[in-house]
Amino acid sequence: MRIWMTGLAILLFVGGALFFALGPQRTTSITLTFHAKMGDDPLIFDEFVYDNPGGSGTFRVRDFRFYLSNLTLSQDGALFAEPDSYHLLRFDNPETIHSIRLNDIPLRSIEHVRFMIGVDPEANGSIQVRGDLDPNSQMAWNWEVGYKFVVMEGTLRIGEEVSPLVYHVGFSENAREVDIQLPPDIGSDGNADLHVNVDLAKLFGGPSQIDLQKLSSVKFNREDAAMLADNYATMMTPMFR
Amino acid sequence: MLRVFLTAAVAVMVAATAWVFWDRARGSTATPIAGFSAPFVFGRFAVPPDNPLTEEAFALGRHLFYDPILSGNNQVSCATCHMQALAFTDGLAKSPALSGGELEFSSMSLINLLWGQERFFWDGRATSLEAQALMPIQHPDEMDQDLDALITELQASRDYRRMFRKAYGEVSAENVARALSTFMRMLISTDSKYDRFLRGEVRLTAQEEHGRKLFMAHPDTKVSLRGGNCIDCHSQFLTSGFRDALDGFSNNGLDSDDDLPDGLMAVTGNPAHKGFFKVPTLRNIAVTAPYMHDGRFETLEEVMDHYNDGIVVSDTLSPLILEADNAPEAGQNTVGLRMTPGEVQSIIAFLNTLTDEGFLTNTQFSNPFEGDG
Ligand code: HEC
Ligand code: HEC
Repeated sequence: MRIWMTGLAILLFVGGALFFALGPQRTTSITLTFHAKMGDDPLIFDEFVYDNPGGSGTFRVRDFRFYLSNLTLSQDGALFAEPDSYHLLRFDNPETIHSIRLNDIPLRSIEHVRFMIGVDPEANGSIQVRGDLDPNSQMAWNWEVGYKFVVMEGTLRIGEEVSPLVYHVGFSENAREVDIQLPPDIGSDGNADLHVNVDLAKLFGGPSQIDLQKLSSVKFNREDAAMLADNYATMMTPMFR
Repeated sequence: MLRVFLTAAVAVMVAATAWVFWDRARGSTATPIAGFSAPFVFGRFAVPPDNPLTEEAFALGRHLFYDPILSGNNQVSCATCHMQALAFTDGLAKSPALSGGELEFSSMSLINLLWGQERFFWDGRATSLEAQALMPIQHPDEMDQDLDALITELQASRDYRRMFRKAYGEVSAENVARALSTFMRMLISTDSKYDRFLRGEVRLTAQEEHGRKLFMAHPDTKVSLRGGNCIDCHSQFLTSGFRDALDGFSNNGLDSDDDLPDGLMAVTGNPAHKGFFKVPTLRNIAVTAPYMHDGRFETLEEVMDHYNDGIVVSDTLSPLILEADNAPEAGQNTVGLRMTPGEVQSIIAFLNTLTDEGFLTNTQFSNPFEGDG
């Protein structure tokens, strides 16, 4: 009995001391809004309005989506890592945007937003449902292969001839890190609003320029997949106003 | 000490009285369905908060499902077109219409409805089971029943009054829908050979395993990977369409632009959805012939012939189907997977591992008005 009382007293004391030492924590909330674009303009689905960047013909986009994972926010040395951080970003809405909101992050302000395009190897090899990871979803290849990280599907039209476009990029080595540094004035009032452009054109016109006719699909060929990954690594640009 | 005892006694009495009042007030005394579990590979599911799964709702829903009292002429029940032995389909290309002739669509199996798409019917026009359940009852060519008349009929029955009171409190059309939905949500199939394989209890034969691998792979000639690409639309564990948004609807190449039915477009108004239909579950598929929304294929062989070299191209055809080809050279006038006959047979062998005899004969799902109920 006595030992419990002593324990309790110590706990209360330590807890109280901590409470006063730290004082009321300031927290920050952040909204990340991703805007799907083709070049400078909002992405248009289901219409033949885009030129083949590396060759002839026009193409339409029927689907564009990707996994964003392992979102962390940091300030000086302090780091906040979102738990179960697996977001499927899809843009099939009238504004072609996707927002992620994180409330009351225990940071006074936010200097860096870091995340991965793709999924970390551990989660990629698991069939556990977490965040937006779902082995019964369209993004799952199958449990032996893991998830597609970035999906773009559509149709290429050259003259009267139409052919399918299928770009499914996965494999753990193709996850790409993105690090966005925020200007100091963003979120000084405890509420940060970050807008990021996601330029689909970069998928075919980043470091490598791609002719959609020659390379009309990418699935399991490792070199092709890595080439597209290096391209999509450049598709995010923050917009600061 | 005495004071502590007295306080405790008073607290207990207050709680007991409150419970009695609360119990009366809420009307029903439904018991949550206990011990209900599903393989974790099925993933998340949601039950509407205003219609929790209870034993009483299930019992009521089961009676309603099998009772022709739900129809205007008291001759048609849900089970007329959804028979357990056929995984709750009716074995017909198109179900018969009350006015003679046939309905527009083939009856759909009712399996694992808790998972997969949250829209129902081939064209996805019902956004919940509760919304769906009253539609066949009122449909002039299905059960042709007026809801007010139905409630009057049900209220006249002592048994139904009792069952409704226990499950929900009162007899109402809303509660008819809720009970039917509960019954259908519990139609869970988890004991096919494929499930037992996933649990590590049995091995698949070499042919079934070959079929499983083909089912789960999108072909890629560039890396010599052969595949049937079924998983592009039929998910790996559930084998149904995908749950997110409208991902579970697709055009799998049945008709040309000239005679492509509206499908999902009738619901969304989006021309990109023309000819899209609900990707059905393939569980118990061996017993649910004929196949597709209009029952055009009699056998799984015919279904496989379709995917293998019978794809009809249309504007909204899935690019995944158009692109999935196992032959390296461009096809001559045929679009399809172009697998070998052996590969086709292997996929059919795998589809046969999805039959769950226990589900088809489970006495909890059978007609409660027959046998020991
Ligand atoms: C006359 C035959 C018939 C009767 C009676 C009937 N159904 Fe159906 N059912 C069908 C047909 C045909 C479809 C597909 C219709 C469509 O897509 O328009 C269907 C579809 C369904 C679906 C959708 C399944 C899915 O996966 O989307 C559910 C659920 C269902 N029925 C439940 C019921 C219930 C509950 C009853 C009784 C109240 C009932 N049905 C009575 C023929 C019938
Ligand atoms: C592009 C998506 C897609 C792919 C790939 C696909 N399916 Fe389907 N499947 C569908 C759709 C959509 C339907 C319903 C079509 C309809 O009735 O209009 C369907 C229907 C079926 C049916 C009939 C089900 C029933 O209840 O009537 C079977 C069997 C079937 N698919 C098996 C397969 C197999 C096996 C494969 C792989 C060889 C496959 N599917 C590949 C989308 C797909």
